[in-house]
Amino acid sequence: MNISTLAIHGGLTGDGSSGATAVPIVQTVSYAYDTAQEIADVFAGKAPGYIYTRIANPTTTALELRLAELEDGIGCVATSSGMAAIASVVMGLVKTGDEIIAASGMFAGTVSLFKSTLGRFAVKTTFVDSADVKQFTKAISGKTKLIFVEAIGNPRMDVPDIPAVAEIAHRANIPLIVDNTVTTPVLIKPGRFGADIVVHSTSKFINGHGTAIGGAIIDTGNYNWKTGVFEDISKSCEGAGRLAFLAHLRNLIYRDLGGCAAPMNSFLMLQGLETLAGRMAKHCESAEKLAQFLRGHPKVSWVNYPGLEDNEFHSRTAKLFDGRGGGLLTFGLGERDKAFRFIDSVKLAKNLANLGDTRTLVIHPCSTIFHEFSPYEQKQMAVTEDMVRVSVGLEDFEDIRDDFAQAIETSCGD
Amino acid sequence: MNLIVNGNETNVDGELTVNELLTEQNVKMPEMVSVELNGQILRRSEFESTKLNEGDAVEFLYFMGGGHASERATD
Ligand SMILES: Cc1ncc(COP(=O)(O)O)c(C=O)c1O
Repeated sequence: MNISTLAIHGGLTGDGSSGATAVPIVQTVSYAYDTAQEIADVFAGKAPGYIYTRIANPTTTALELRLAELEDGIGCVATSSGMAAIASVVMGLVKTGDEIIAASGMFAGTVSLFKSTLGRFAVKTTFVDSADVKQFTKAISGKTKLIFVEAIGNPRMDVPDIPAVAEIAHRANIPLIVDNTVTTPVLIKPGRFGADIVVHSTSKFINGHGTAIGGAIIDTGNYNWKTGVFEDISKSCEGAGRLAFLAHLRNLIYRDLGGCAAPMNSFLMLQGLETLAGRMAKHCESAEKLAQFLRGHPKVSWVNYPGLEDNEFHSRTAKLFDGRGGGLLTFGLGERDKAFRFIDSVKLAKNLANLGDTRTLVIHPCSTIFHEFSPYEQKQMAVTEDMVRVSVGLEDFEDIRDDFAQAIETSCGD
Repeated sequence: MNLIVNGNETNVDGELTVNELLTEQNVKMPEMVSVELNGQILRRSEFESTKLNEGDAVEFLYFMGGGHASERATD
């Protein structure tokens, strides 16, 4: 099946007994068994079954199966947020004293998790410029346990050479984790390019309507946990075979951290998935048109969109994303004041911290999502004072363009 | 045909696909099970088209939180 079909029919669908086509929302905390022996067997892993929604839930299972199929993975664990997904994966892999290598232009929450939160547990992260593959090799030490990149860096808009980075990780016998939030499986299935684990903030394009927070972890099946550097995981989860890491999450890390997906949110994610492919096509088409419009505008200083032909990542976009540049772009008007005035002047676009909504969204990353970082750190992350980030929505392109045109005139007038 | 199902030697009649084996072995919650065939996890979409061969090692796996062992998946 192709991706639009899988997004609708993949995994569990509907409810076999009633004929309902939508996956039922199983809004429950727990699951009753007839006998003490039956529930004891499930707890002991002697029989399959649901125990408690913090560990697994039927609505969430349907979402997990469908996401695993869409990413061409061997299994999935859905979480309460994208951050819960990233935290669970990374805390499932690193211990005190271990090291992480990550791209420098990523989502601020992920950078903060690595640098500050995990820093408190003496886990060290080296941030590298993803455009320069050699930096990943240079940063690897005997303590490195994983490499983490975003398929398109938010908001740096860099596109790492995933196959090359995967090769570097595998030479060191460690997994490559790719955050596929901005690109979604519609643009790339990172597993096909060597990624070992894919994470998502499903709050974005997968939900697609700005109505629920969620996340997901998919094991692509590329990494062999048995022969890797995570002896404790493969040992404790021996019975799980290739699913060792997902079992390690489900039975320990995810269960203990408590970042489970809410059944209602899993339903909303499933609903979002059904239209994902069509929406992504439109997001990409309008983003490219808007990038071209902004680049041709005399008052716009710069535009960063990997789908533009003269963008440094254009050829990689062609190779990895089939030529599509995604729904996100950044641009500058030369000064912070103009960026603020632009945001104050848009009428259609919403000024808020999110992306992947039906609505066009704008934000000034420097003073919001990245406000806790020093000017030096912001520079390393390529967050400039004049940068406006745009998540291009599903409105008619002409209306988005007209809104931007009038807001640029207002903010850059004399 | 002889198979190794969840580590146990098992004899089944005639040719079987993975889906048919799930029914034959009376696997519980078949919609939830992951299948490992000779050390590789099968995509769910492959359950129907994958035919089993003499000597194949098949594991039925769950990771629902109650555990993750194999011989446990069947009655
Ligand atoms: C690329 C990326 N990854 C992860 C996250 C975190 O996701 P959530 O907000 O669902 O925790 C975000 C959120 O903005 C993001 O943009």
